[in-house]
Amino acid sequence: MRRRPGDKSIVATVATWTVVLATIFPLLWMAITSIKPQSELFRIPPAFLPESVTLEHYRTLLEDTPFLTYFGHSLVIATSTTLLVLVLGVLGAYSLVRFSYPGRERLALLVLFTYLLPSVVLVLPLYLMMVKVGVANTLFSLVIAYTTFSLPYALWLLRAFMAGTPEDLEWAALVDGASRLGAFVDIVLPQMLPGIISTAVFTFIVGWNEYFYALVLVNSDSARPLTTGVMNMLITSFNIEWSLLMAAAVMMSLPLIVIFVFLQSYLTRGFAASGIKG
Amino acid sequence: MAGISIEKLCKAFGPVVAVRDLDLEIAEGEFVSLLGPSGCGKTTTLRMLAGLDFPTSGSIRIGGRVVNDLPPGKRDIAMVFQSYALYPHMSVAENIAYPLRKRGVPRRERDAKVMEVARLLRLEALVDRKPRHLSGGQQQRVALGRALVREPQVFLLDEPLSNLDAKLRAHMRAELIELHRRIGKTMVYVTHDQLEAMTMSDRIAILHGGLLQQFGTPADVYERPANVFVADFIGTPSMSLFEGTLHRQGGQLEARIGSMVVPLPENHVTWSGGADGLAIRLGVRPEDVVLGDIGEPAVVKLVEPTGHENIVLLTLHGLVVTARLGADVRLRPDEAVHVGFRTAKLHIFDRDAGTRLNTDGPARVTAFRGLQSIGQR
Repeated sequence: MRRRPGDKSIVATVATWTVVLATIFPLLWMAITSIKPQSELFRIPPAFLPESVTLEHYRTLLEDTPFLTYFGHSLVIATSTTLLVLVLGVLGAYSLVRFSYPGRERLALLVLFTYLLPSVVLVLPLYLMMVKVGVANTLFSLVIAYTTFSLPYALWLLRAFMAGTPEDLEWAALVDGASRLGAFVDIVLPQMLPGIISTAVFTFIVGWNEYFYALVLVNSDSARPLTTGVMNMLITSFNIEWSLLMAAAVMMSLPLIVIFVFLQSYLTRGFAASGIKG
Repeated sequence: MAGISIEKLCKAFGPVVAVRDLDLEIAEGEFVSLLGPSGCGKTTTLRMLAGLDFPTSGSIRIGGRVVNDLPPGKRDIAMVFQSYALYPHMSVAENIAYPLRKRGVPRRERDAKVMEVARLLRLEALVDRKPRHLSGGQQQRVALGRALVREPQVFLLDEPLSNLDAKLRAHMRAELIELHRRIGKTMVYVTHDQLEAMTMSDRIAILHGGLLQQFGTPADVYERPANVFVADFIGTPSMSLFEGTLHRQGGQLEARIGSMVVPLPENHVTWSGGADGLAIRLGVRPEDVVLGDIGEPAVVKLVEPTGHENIVLLTLHGLVVTARLGADVRLRPDEAVHVGFRTAKLHIFDRDAGTRLNTDGPARVTAFRGLQSIGQR
């Protein structure tokens, strides 16, 4: 039997949609659960769509729990980490690519090596150091911790982008009357924008979603981020507040979804470039 | 406008010496090419002029002012890069305006100058485009525009035509010559393409291994090459060079190349004579090889027709000689011919030192041994 030309594309479409639905189902289930009334949560057999819609869980979460405080902490931690990583990463990548000094390549490899270390190996020494310098249990301790494991990746990604920026552009800017810093700001940084945005998004996600370090380094509400805060607040040995948990999960996902929607094109370019040039 | 004075300029990268004791005096408004093969130090010299590399020793003066320690932006120079180095995120107008912006020129004045330059280079219709939407020739003109806009004392051009196809290159070459004629500014042009150097320059500095080989007009370097390197490097096809000895036999000056004896005009060389002769290299340009009814027997090895002429490789006494003949001269491989040289145009070099020995008297077309008359076939 001869196959029609359309057969192949139908199979591919069905396969693609299967993967997409399998990936998106937990997210949909999360969003739907967050607006189901408590009475519908544990119905057997479960219903996919709610009979009635409620925003009660969101109201409870925002008014009766410290959710917004944790949200604020997470925002400060993720944003500060992102800014710190970007400043250090961009300057470090510039140094690794543009200046020649003994051990430059080894240094770059060493940086990558620190990225390969399991985070569990670093957490205790880091905690002890934080206690020693008196910053344990603060937002700052988490910013430092997240920077330590985001920076190596950022350096490598940005290094690839820096290497892809022709040196001639910088020389031309110098001849045109720019200072070294001026050439860097006017010419080099715009060329690296996709890399900078990719790095920023990656670092923000790490800072926003990280759980393990937050659990070890912070044990007071004054610095607790969303990940450990929500767990602490809604999951106890006796009970799991599923409806609130799902509402919290939806709200935690919102900033990341917004970032992805707006920066999608930069991200694709960024990751593609890091794959090719890195 | 300003001239450039380079004195004892050296540049070493670790143990590698890129430029060695370079002396050049470039006059105001002159178009000078730095010509040489890859790695000869021409781009390093240009980068030192621009301030992108600093000399290991020696001095550079632009307009009488020592600029050794000045950053590129303070030298009052403009540079066009081989890659054009257009800022990809800026439009054509923003690219051209950038040097003015960096000098704090007010916006209105800046815009007026950008449009003036755009008109000069026929870029008015493209000012809002990004460089990636331009052809190679247009990008090249934008790079020139960015250099022109702030009216610098000196223009430095680093192989600006090498990324263009042959036809566009010829067109841009003519445009550059015209531009230089119009603005009359000092230009230093780096190229490895001798055709560009020969057609565009007032003078050419030929570099090899970081050393200046010759600094002269295109006619000088072609007709009176200072050494074997220049003789071999300048000219397409290259000069044929043969090892031999120079003798004075009964008052007659002659070069002996293997079994061949080439009589030379009196006073052709500075060598005053000696019983043992002098080890030399004899050079003959392809256009100074002529075919005749009599002369030395030779065999055609290869014919390369270019349309307007034929380049012919001949075997003469076991040596390979390149000849440039008219397109109407029809020869076939293995055909037997008789050849002679225009002896007054022969180039004689000291074999060991490689230096030129010709006295360079007035050029005369003289017959090769035994030939009474020389005529193109």
